[in-house]
This record gives sequence, C-alpha cells and structure tokens, in this order.
Amino acid sequence: MIFREVEDRDLIAKARRGDVEAFNLLVSRWEKRVFNYLLRLVSNREDALDLSQDVFLKAYQNLPKLDDAARFSGWLFRIAHNEAFSMLRRRRPETELADEPRGAHFDPGRGLLPVELSLAVESALGRLNEDQREAVLLKIYQGFKFEEMAEILGCPVSTVKSRLYTALDLLKATLAPTLMRGES
Amino acid sequence: MSCSNFDWKGYALGELDSNARSQAEAHAATCAACREELATTRLTLDALSTLREEEVPRRIAFVSDKIFEPSPWQQWWRKLWNPTFAAACVVAAAILVHGFASYARASASPAEIQAQVNQAVTKAVADSEQRQSQQLEEVLNYVAKQNQLTYKSAFYRQ
Repeated sequence: MIFREVEDRDLIAKARRGDVEAFNLLVSRWEKRVFNYLLRLVSNREDALDLSQDVFLKAYQNLPKLDDAARFSGWLFRIAHNEAFSMLRRRRPETELADEPRGAHFDPGRGLLPVELSLAVESALGRLNEDQREAVLLKIYQGFKFEEMAEILGCPVSTVKSRLYTALDLLKATLAPTLMRGES
Repeated sequence: MSCSNFDWKGYALGELDSNARSQAEAHAATCAACREELATTRLTLDALSTLREEEVPRRIAFVSDKIFEPSPWQQWWRKLWNPTFAAACVVAAAILVHGFASYARASASPAEIQAQVNQAVTKAVADSEQRQSQQLEEVLNYVAKQNQLTYKSAFYRQ
C-alpha cells in the first residue's frame, strides 16, 4: 500500500485556516532539526528546549504572515535564529565569564573512535564564535543554500560566505591533528 | 598552497554552478596544491558530518495542549467580542445608567424637598378652598330654592 505523504505546504495551508492538528504535525516534523540547531548554538539542552518551544509558539502566532509556504523552513529558522541570539545577547556577560568552550581540554589520544571524532568536532565547534558556528550549523547540518542563509541571518550572501569559510579554515586547523592521527 | 582563483569550499559544499565546477575540475587535474586543498576540505566536512543529531528530550508542547489554554480572564475578554455577549453587556449597562439616574433624581437636596412640599401643600390648600367654596355655593343655592318654594306654597294657601 502506498501512503501519500502529506507535504509541509498542505499542513501550512491547513494550519493557516485554523487547523491546530495540522500545525501539531508540523511541530513533530521539525522539532528535532530546530532543537539540534539551537542546541549547537546555545550549548545547553534545557535552553535549547525552551527556545524550541518559543520558536514553535511564535511560528504558530505568525503563520498568517508567511507569504510563501515553500519558504517555511527558512522562515522557521529565522525565528529560531532571532530567539537564540536574543537569549545569547541577554546572557552575554554570564557566557563571557564562563567562556571555556565545551570539551576544550579534549585530547583524542592514540587511535580514533567515532565517538572521539564526534567529541573532537563538538570541541572544535565550541571554539568558533557564535556567528561562525551558526553559519556551519545552517550549511553543514541543515543544508541551506547561501541565499537562504542570508535571509535567515539577515545579512548579505558575501557575509555568510565569509563567516562560513573562516569557520571551515578554523575547523580544518583545529581538527587536522585529530584527523591525521585517525588516518595513521 | 592552492590557487586563489578557485573556490574549493564552494565546490565541496555543492554551491558552484556546472560551468564553475567543470573549470575547477579541469584545474584540479593539473594542480596538486588544489587537489590537496580540496581533499582536506572534504575531510573536514566528513568529520563534521559525524556529529549526530540528538533526540528531543521531551516532546515540544503543541499549541492545542492544555498549557496554552487562555486564562479565565482572557476567555472573558474574548467573549466580550461575541455579538450576543456584547448585546447583553449593552443592555446591562443601560439598566445601570437608568438606575443611577433615578437614584440621582431621588436624592435631591433638603431645600428642594422643602420647596416641593410647600408647593404641594399650597396646591392642596387651594384645591380644598375651591372645593369648600363650591360646596358653600351649592348649599346657599339649595337654601334659596327652598325659601322660594316655601314662599310660593304660603302664597297659594292664602
């Protein structure tokens, strides 16, 4: 039996007509991606969960303002970006005091297990500044195009590319010793 | 050191158009430094892709969940915009205004009350005097008629 997959745009159209269940289904589809994006950005599970909640509530309230249903993902991540950076700005003095990135003392040691590589990557991401890390998250983990990222971040494509390429150079330099050890 | 004319990060990320891709590939075939640059970029991207997505620790609350139900005050405020409820409110307000106006009329000052009493007393006295003079006139007329009858009967007897 073939099940017809309900497209996001159908759900969005129904949700805009007041169908709450359709919006609930959208939440179920997108919550993992939004949560992981926010988790990597704010580095705190509870904060990421609270922010995810706020993102979907705002998305529901502002759904009538979404002009093009095909741009739902970018629009949703734009809300997530705004919520995350709003929180980060409020907490900046605290985070600056506790500026040690997660896993900063990670030492992969001899050999390289998948979990060790993941920890090395997490540590390397933690060393990037927020703008660079967000560019990596949107491109590598969420698969957005440069133009979509520019819309989400509210900046020119050239800025997006600059942030991402700088981040990749830093990641390459940070991860190189680990990767070399893994290859040996 | 790779050649600065080629965007190897854009190439590895799939952001180049087909023409730019072809040119980059043709160049890489003849340039060891660019091949090295592309290889390390891909290795970095592969390493990044090992980071797995985490499961959401608990379900994101739906907008239809109980926690998002409006408070009693908000429910009342929304009801205010219901036409039936709004009409009932208008009627209730009209009754209140009428009641207040009646109370205001009833609660006049003592001087006004005294003036109203005096006016009523004067009117009652005038009415009473008018009634008394009417009754007196009627009695006098009756007596005069009786006297006339008595006089006439005495005259005929004589």
